Parts: sequence; C-alpha cells; structure tokens
Amino acid sequence: MKISLESLRPCLDGAIPAVVATAAPDGTPNVAYASQVHYVDPEHVALSFQFFSKTRENVLAHPYAQVQVIEPGSFRHFRLKVHYLRTETSGPLFEYMKAQLAGIAERTGMAKVFALRGADIYRVLDIENADPRQQPAPPPPDALLKLRRTLDHLGACDDLAQLADRALAALAHGFGIRHALLAMLDETGGTLYTLASLGYPASGVGAEVALGEGLIGVAARERIPVRINHHTSEYTYHAALCVAAPSSPRIPLPVLANPHSQIAVPLTHGQRLVGVLYAESEQNAFFSHADEDALVVYGRHLAALVVQLAALPDDTEPALAAPPPQPSGPALAVRYFVHDHSVFIDNDYLIKGVAGSILWALLNDYAQSGRRDFCNRELRRDPRLPLPDFGDNLETRLILLQRRLAERCPQIALEKTGRGRFRLELARPLHLDSI
Amino acid sequence: MATPLILTPDQAAFLQGPLSMNVGAVGRDGWPCVSRAQGVIVARDRRTLTLLLSAARGRAVLEALDAGSAITLVASRPATHATLQLKAASATRVATNAAHRTASARCVTAFSDELETLGYGKSVRAALAAILPTDDLVALRFAPEIVFDQTPGPDAGRVLARA
Repeated sequence: MKISLESLRPCLDGAIPAVVATAAPDGTPNVAYASQVHYVDPEHVALSFQFFSKTRENVLAHPYAQVQVIEPGSFRHFRLKVHYLRTETSGPLFEYMKAQLAGIAERTGMAKVFALRGADIYRVLDIENADPRQQPAPPPPDALLKLRRTLDHLGACDDLAQLADRALAALAHGFGIRHALLAMLDETGGTLYTLASLGYPASGVGAEVALGEGLIGVAARERIPVRINHHTSEYTYHAALCVAAPSSPRIPLPVLANPHSQIAVPLTHGQRLVGVLYAESEQNAFFSHADEDALVVYGRHLAALVVQLAALPDDTEPALAAPPPQPSGPALAVRYFVHDHSVFIDNDYLIKGVAGSILWALLNDYAQSGRRDFCNRELRRDPRLPLPDFGDNLETRLILLQRRLAERCPQIALEKTGRGRFRLELARPLHLDSI
Repeated sequence: MATPLILTPDQAAFLQGPLSMNVGAVGRDGWPCVSRAQGVIVARDRRTLTLLLSAARGRAVLEALDAGSAITLVASRPATHATLQLKAASATRVATNAAHRTASARCVTAFSDELETLGYGKSVRAALAAILPTDDLVALRFAPEIVFDQTPGPDAGRVLARA
C-alpha cells in the first residue's frame, strides 16, 4: 500500500531528529541531521537551511536526497526519496518554519546557534516504511471530535461579547485548552488588541500586539496558523514587554511566561482578517497537526460569526431600565490625550485609540447635555471617532471599553440596553480635562 | 601512499558510547540512501571500524556498497548532540559472529538508556529492541579516511582528521 505523506505528519514535528543523505558530484555519500523536516502539502516537504553545509552543497549540485524520519511512540523509520526544487527566503512557509525552528533550537540547546536562512522545498517521490512489522503508534485523539465538542459548547451567540467569551470557554471543553486569548485586528490593520482571554490571573483585555510581533503577530501578518511544540524564548511576549518604554502606557498581554506549546490561528472571513485565536500550554507537544487543522476551521467559523453578529441591525428603542444611580462623592479626574486618544482616570491609564476616543465622546455628551443613552449607529457616523467603514470594529471596541471600565474603573459603566444600544452609568461625578 | 588514519583515543571512546548511528551510501543509480546502524566496534589499532546493521533494513545501503559505493557513518550522542561523521572509499562485508551480536545488543541498550533519560518514555526500550533485533546482522569493515565534526552548528563539517 502506498504510504501518504499526510500519514507521516506526526514524524514531521521535530520530536525525533531526522537525517538526510545526499551525494557529492564524485559519488561520495553524506549523512547529516536535519533540524526540521516540515510538512508542506501532500507532495512536498521543506528542510530548514541554516548553514552552508555539505548537504546544501550536495543538493545544489545533485538534487536527489533521502530523508529518514521517525514516528514518535513506535520509533518506526520511514525513508523519503526527495528531489530538491527551490529555496524560499520569505513568506508564510518561511515564517512558519522560522517560528518552529526557534522551538526546536531551544529544545536542542541551539537557541543562539540556529537561524533560518531559507526553507528548502523538496518534492517527495517515494516513501518506504523501514519497519513494516512494527506496530504503528496509537493514533492521536480525534481532532474532528474535539472540534465538534467545541462547536456544541459554543452554541448560539446573540452578541459579540458573548461570542468572545464562549469561543474561548468552548476550547477548554473541546480541546482541553486552559490558556487562550482572542485578539482582534484594529482599524489601522497594524495592531491586534485583546478582546477576551481564558485562564490567566489578569484578563489582559486591551493588550496590544503589533503585526508581525511574536506568534500572534506572525499568524496575523502571514495569515497562517503557526504552531510551536517546544518552549522558546524567541517567541514569548515577556521579553518584548521588558524592553517597552515605561513612558508609553501598555497593558501587558496576559500570556504564560514559559509556554511549552503555542498555536496562533488567524480568524479569516473570505479575504478579510478579523483577528487571531491564540492558545498555549505548559506541556510540550500539546497541539498536534490535526489540532492545528481543527483550530483553523474553528477560526474561520468564529470569523464568520463575528462578521454576521456585527451586521445585525441595532434595536430601534432602548429597553426600559431602572433609573441610574446619581453620581455622588468626589469627582473622578478624567484626562484625555488627543494625540493618541489615551484616557487616564485619577492618573491611572485606562485605554487609548478608538476605545479612548469613544469614551471621551460619551463623557463629553453627558457633560454637555446629561445624555446617557447611545446607539452604535450614531457612533459609527460620529466624526469625532477615528473609525473606518468596518462596522464590527466599533462593536468590538465597545466591548473592549466596557471590559476595561469594569476592571479598572467600575464607577463608569456601559450597560447594554438592547442590540446596538447602551447606557452610560456614573457612580461618581467627573472632571474632564483634555490635553 | 597516504598515511593511514588512526582515530584518537577520544574518538574511539566516543564511538563506544551511547550513540544514534546512521550509515549512508550512494546507489548505482546515483540515489543516496541511508539506514540506521546498530553497533560499531573499534579495532584495537583504531584504524578500522566494524559496523553492524540489519540486512533487511540496510538492503539499499548494502547493495550500494556491494556495487562499490563509498561509505559514511554518522554517530551522534543524543544527550550532547556531539556528532562525528567518518567516511571511507569502500567497505567490505565480514562474517558475523556471537561477539557482533553481543556488541549490537549492548549498543542498542545504551542508546535506549540514553533516550529514556532524555524523556522519550519507557516505551523506547521495547520499541528499539523490536526494530533493531540482532538476528539478521551484517558486519561491514572499513578504515575511515576522513573524520568530520558534525555537531549541529556553524562548525559542522570541520575536518578533524584525514588519511
């Protein structure tokens, strides 16, 4: 029976080193360890090119090689006859391999040594099982079943806030994921901001990640899933936080200091990137190839739901609500910085960007006219807000703002009064100051 | 005539340690091939090696060597990633004996012990014993003509000794 390359994906996760045999033009054989043999598609693998090695010299002259990979668990050996085609030095495949190599390098004590120069693409011509009498390793848990359980738990969601929370909670039921976050692409397309998180001491709502920064940023920029199965300091966010300028307010990402497995999956709807789903674990090799497949499907489902929920029309009238409490006590000092729309309350940083400008507009409307009831439709057209055409950015920014207020300044609250409607509630009087 | 290469005592000792070993050759059709080897014996004079591998697993490599291919052996210590590559223009088959089987079993056990220590799990011993049995061993003798340091990193490929 012909062996498919897909069936060898567990051998291609870097758990057990592979070797590659090549021939010099004079017929001298060479065998070397390959740090990374990456599954590209059913007919191709890519090997990491880190140094100008004998292997590379040989394949450039004589493009035929044999790669031996090993199945974790059973230790069955498979030999792949491969034909070198080309080297990629940028783009999605390169970025994925670069991230994975960082994990492999750290595990093998080569963190300062390994750097990816290129992804060498090979066509797989033949696969031989060198241990046909050895039992295969037990199959990994069924990722399709995990996905189905996750979707069952997600259920029907009425609004984006509910979707954001349930999307993460459902992962715990389906995949056993204990740490995850949902980051949405902002209106500039250059930054992602955390909308919801699961399993961290601090929610990190509002924490930002630049496009291309760390695993989340790479997944967003390249629009690819990226999975690392081993601990690597290169793709953790804590190092980046340590060098952030103390003068620029930054909400820390809530992520683990030393994750041993990480996965970031883009949330795409058609051609549009909505955000990134990120999950991590303290265990090595927590996410399989099949988990990656399933989470990619889940990411696309979530993106479609985000777009669909944001497009629902607002309610025409607010629901009747109990009279809000009258502000009392000392005034809260609300300071707004026009250049980055950041808002500080009693000198504590709250939020910036679109969410900051929304809050500033609401508080000013209230100060000038006593108005408390607002609807999203009006805000979308409000010239004071730096919003693009995408409607769901407003929705997600309002959720972000609502959550940051609940965490950092519960004296100011945005209470939902219907679909696309909310009421400003103040427990304390305000002193507004714009700089 | 070139001076025969004599392995250093350290290299000889390394080759008797817990190692992952793979042997390569190039077939008549120009295709390189590789097989896991399961034991190596360094001669007292440190000039020749006797390499042990399974006839079934190493069929392509053995056919290539029978047809006159050069041979390469890569031996790597899993715990340290220290790796040597040794090459020679040819290798000859020698009759296997009980000592070869004992040596192979010892090498496989040492390899299993090392992997178990490194966290590959308790199943590694049974799995390696199953895939590396000593019942169809072939012994290949060759005199290394060049030795490379093949430890992963920018210095991989450095020549350590040449005949």
